[in-house]
Amino acid sequence: MTPTLALRAVSKNFGMTAALTDMSLELFPGEVHAIVGENGAGKSTMIKIMTGIHQPSSGGVEIDGTAATLTGSKAARLRGVAAIYQEPMVFPDLDVTENIFISATKGLFLNRPAMRRAARDLIARIGMTLDVDRTAAGLSLAEQQAVEIARALSQDVRVLIMDEPTASLSAHEASELRRIARQLADDGVSVVYISHRLEEVFELADRVSVIRDGKHISTKLIADATPQSLIAEMVGREVGNYFAKTPSTATTETLLSVQGLSADGVFSDISFDLHRGEILCMAGLIGARRTDVALALFGMLKTSAGTVTYKGKPLKMTSSREAIDNGIAYVSEDRRKLGLAMALPIRWNISLATLEKYLSPLGLIDTRAEIATAWSYKQKLNIRTPNTEIAVGTLSGGNQQKVMLAKWLNMNPALLIVDEPTRGIDVGAKAEVHALIRAFVAAGGAALVISSDLPEVLAMGDRILVMREGRQMAILPHDSATQHSIMALATGQKDAA
Amino acid sequence: MALLTRLSPAALRLLALLAVLALVLIFFSTQIEGYLNGRLFNRISSSVAIMALIATGQTLVILTRNIDLSVGSVVGFSAFATGSLISNHPDLNPLILLLYAAAVGTGFGMLNGVLVAYARIPSIIVTLASMALFRSALVEYSNAKSITSESLPAWLTDFPNMPVFSLGAMEFRAGFTASLVVVLIVHFALTRLRPARQFFAVGSNPEAAEMAGIDAHRTIFAAFALSGLMAGLAGFMFLARFGNITVVAGLGFELKSVASSVVGGVNIFGGSGSVIGAFLGAILVDLLETSLVRWAVVSEFWREAVLGALILLAVTTDTLFSRRLAALGARKSKESAK
Repeated sequence: MTPTLALRAVSKNFGMTAALTDMSLELFPGEVHAIVGENGAGKSTMIKIMTGIHQPSSGGVEIDGTAATLTGSKAARLRGVAAIYQEPMVFPDLDVTENIFISATKGLFLNRPAMRRAARDLIARIGMTLDVDRTAAGLSLAEQQAVEIARALSQDVRVLIMDEPTASLSAHEASELRRIARQLADDGVSVVYISHRLEEVFELADRVSVIRDGKHISTKLIADATPQSLIAEMVGREVGNYFAKTPSTATTETLLSVQGLSADGVFSDISFDLHRGEILCMAGLIGARRTDVALALFGMLKTSAGTVTYKGKPLKMTSSREAIDNGIAYVSEDRRKLGLAMALPIRWNISLATLEKYLSPLGLIDTRAEIATAWSYKQKLNIRTPNTEIAVGTLSGGNQQKVMLAKWLNMNPALLIVDEPTRGIDVGAKAEVHALIRAFVAAGGAALVISSDLPEVLAMGDRILVMREGRQMAILPHDSATQHSIMALATGQKDAA
Repeated sequence: MALLTRLSPAALRLLALLAVLALVLIFFSTQIEGYLNGRLFNRISSSVAIMALIATGQTLVILTRNIDLSVGSVVGFSAFATGSLISNHPDLNPLILLLYAAAVGTGFGMLNGVLVAYARIPSIIVTLASMALFRSALVEYSNAKSITSESLPAWLTDFPNMPVFSLGAMEFRAGFTASLVVVLIVHFALTRLRPARQFFAVGSNPEAAEMAGIDAHRTIFAAFALSGLMAGLAGFMFLARFGNITVVAGLGFELKSVASSVVGGVNIFGGSGSVIGAFLGAILVDLLETSLVRWAVVSEFWREAVLGALILLAVTTDTLFSRRLAALGARKSKESAK
């Protein structure tokens, strides 16, 4: 049988970084082909190549056995390749009918009655009920996905890629979506199903491929795979040879105590203690809701139950201002959006959250003190820059991350919450950031570190809290944690002890 | 309430706008003697004939999350260029003259479009600059001379006031009727042609538009070209109505056209709105302006402030109203899902 779509030795480089190396994959009509891998394994890049958004640096894409050049998502759609994502891509101002037929290319005049009928048929074909005249802005995520699937069907889709489609859905909605995926495959569509939920993979898929570090590791019939074998292949690398564990500096003095913290529909029943001198790492996959727990502690997400004791007193979590005044700092994972003012000098960024410290009696900014602070952080954190006046945006990722840490450390926090501290920075800079956070806790603070990078979690965490879909699976002491045990908990293959 | 939720939000907006128009008319008819008569209709309709065209083009641009601040200068240039062409060639075929005005406007629009869509410079910067550039081009081109109505053929200056048909005391003249026809054609095209849907898609969710295989660059380029076309046609109307064209022709039209669109319910962040709304918006803005002039209570120094406040009120009401409506719709669908 000829594969509907095949990747032949595809590599993709972004600058010096190789996102995909020699990736080969064949998709056959009528199969649900699951693809699993850790965060950052190269799944998104692979989808973007299949849907024409990226062009391979080398290698090629074949459709029906002949080489195809997909110049963009329009070209891909015309060849029958479409993708739907965890966050659906709909047009909030248009109604369901218009959303479904937005990619249509034939005909000049819109025949509204015929479009509505066709929209209703498509929605019915995937077994949903949906008012085709409603504007998309009011639809639930599951309904929006249904609209996207209907849009793909309207264009005679032959390869439908579903990227983490159930990550934000309720259990019932997710099982509906899996039913639709199976039905499409039975109709002859090749369904690519990307999921972190292994039980879903075993329920739905015909074949499963593991990718890791941008490389294809294996493709098996689902009957030949076990959850354990998949996890082993996803984690792959030998444990413990990546970063050395920084020695624990934990004391017995409790700084933060969280009991049964819940936020409706987001996460539930999170409980842990954090001691001075300790680094607690939160591990889990995308959709585990770790960032939401951090946002709740920082006063930016409303909680519905539970108590938080901080420095021996109940912590009010009503605004980020309150958190900052209490000495809680939150270093966001999104440097560009929430962390740094890229066009402004390093010095301005470092003093941004603590400007009141640099006011002269007249209320003017004391530039000399500001410069002194910036230089002391440049020295201490080894920020590689000729001076502190250049725009942060011109620094490398690792140095930007250090500026961001400097900004928050300058606040003298007691509790430092860091979300993905080393995403997108090189290995050397990673080790430096690890050492910085360790030095901070050794001086009497405590840190809650969210990381999706398992070697990093094992290198930093004195204890490791594993979350999965808004629930706390376990807290593992460092000595008994391994990449396998964390991954098993995070994917739900091992239940909370 | 049941009726209100059954109507589409777009239809509701238009109804609300008509209601506001009616309220304004009723209010001023109690304040100004002999207010509601044929003359009021004539005055408003001949001025809206020009603004409606510009606001229609502006709406197309705003739908794609952009703005065109150069339309006032394009109107001026097109009016002047068309006027000088007909003064030099008085026997020119009217259709050719109209096409000339359209071509001048489209040319300027395409220039804006290339810079915004393909060079990816923010539209507010491109059109702020081109507003000044096109105006200076007009000053240079005019060589400090003006077009006077004596130099224009009679058919041209008579055209806007030619009666077409009457509805009671309301006399529909050719200028207004022509402009109304253009608005209706664009409205039909925008709601019924497949490619036109892309204006809404690009403004509603640019990322999703790309994923859906829509060429956003081409769509934005088309919006600016059409906005230029509309401004060119408006220049023709401006010439026909006023006859005397100086280098300040069309000054300030850009802001008035944005006001008309926004008052008419076109979302300034793109994605939703209609040219009928912008048309009604243009009427409302003009009606308020004209009526305030005749309303003795407001001194002329405060007129602009009152107009500004009323526009703000209209837009605020519209925003709150549509937000409530969206919340209501979401609640309803949640209930029906249970």
